[in-house]
Amino acid sequence: MEITVKPIDAVIFVGTGLSISFRLLLGGLSVGLFLGLTLAILRHNGIGRRPIAHYVSLLRGTPVLLQLSLIYFAIPGILGVRLSVLSAGIITFGLNSSAYMSEIFRSGIEGLPRGQFEAAQTLGIPRFFIWKDIILPQVFTAILPALTGEVIALLKETALIATIGGADIMRKSQVLAAEQFTYFMPLCIAGFYYYFIVLFVESLSRRLERRLRRAHH
Amino acid sequence: MLTIENVYKSFQGNMVLKDITLAIEGGSILGLAGPSGEGKSTLLRCIQGLENIDSGKIVCGGRIGFMFQDFQLFPHMSVLQNVVYAGKFQPRERRATLLRRAEELLERLGVWNLCDRYPDRLSGGQKQRVALARTLMLEPEVLLCDEPTSGLDMAATADVAELLRSICAKRTVVAIASHDMSFLTKVADRIVLLRHGTIAADIALDQFPNLPKLAVSFFEE
Repeated sequence: MEITVKPIDAVIFVGTGLSISFRLLLGGLSVGLFLGLTLAILRHNGIGRRPIAHYVSLLRGTPVLLQLSLIYFAIPGILGVRLSVLSAGIITFGLNSSAYMSEIFRSGIEGLPRGQFEAAQTLGIPRFFIWKDIILPQVFTAILPALTGEVIALLKETALIATIGGADIMRKSQVLAAEQFTYFMPLCIAGFYYYFIVLFVESLSRRLERRLRRAHH
Repeated sequence: MLTIENVYKSFQGNMVLKDITLAIEGGSILGLAGPSGEGKSTLLRCIQGLENIDSGKIVCGGRIGFMFQDFQLFPHMSVLQNVVYAGKFQPRERRATLLRRAEELLERLGVWNLCDRYPDRLSGGQKQRVALARTLMLEPEVLLCDEPTSGLDMAATADVAELLRSICAKRTVVAIASHDMSFLTKVADRIVLLRHGTIAADIALDQFPNLPKLAVSFFEE
């Protein structure tokens, strides 16, 4: 069968999935960063060390697709609530990412000399400000490359939302493929979209890294 | 005034400080001498409260300032930010004069011209002075210095000795842990030798001008 859609229309059609992909990325990232950081700080302070280690192990040790299916299909059935596709996606990708991010933050925190905490403590700086102004700015600079890697991984994982009907870039390309009876062009368009976002995230990270390093010298 | 009574401290069953009793008057400098691993730093850390003691009592008559061996300046803050940052959490009347006091201190320590620099662009001696300024901003009644001359050359060491002497002209109690006997004999009024976690000797320097030689022979026994 002949392809009837013009390439530009195909690009625009697949691009309508950007909104869902971005919402999943930003939502998942917010949940992942907040929860990951909280878990790392709790663990550093010796609070809930064992349950947190199990949480991280479980979320890293099972497929994201399984976690997504559990959260979208299984858990609402048990609890008797209905989750939207977007909410299920943000919760799943956020929780999954929080496990990886908590480990990234933990390595950054443990990489700092203990003397930095102690020096701040001896100067009478309150605990909250020790974290906010002394520890985390240093940790953030150190882990930025690893964090960028996690953001990219998260973006690519969001494509799994297509399996539960989320109309993201991936899903739109599948719809187009099914309508046009050709897979090559729609999937390539989706691939380019993902790759351009990754390039953008990488360049943003590089710029941020340069700025942070310049600020410290 | 700083008093330490019958202090014991162990790490995982290994006794590091045994029955330490000391009293230090304001305006005097105490040198804690002894080879590495004999409990000098641990004693300072116990006084500061960075370590909990097993038993005994430490009574300190005011704010404590602590100078770390490796300075522990905050690398993402400029010299001036390092010095004034903690001041944000001081009482209001002291906050008002924060910048003026920082300028005075940095000027006095000869590093005001470096106030916009970041720590990785400072020499060991300059870092030392910035760390001292940061600690002195607290206006401590007790100043604890852990190996303040490690990594410094002779000239910088002599400067540190002079600086600490000038601080002590006031009523501050200064306690310095160092394995550098010649430095301690220059700066301290009194030297306490720690060995195997106990006080092996407690000597007022004005009564013992030949202490450096004696100390060397003591450790070589």
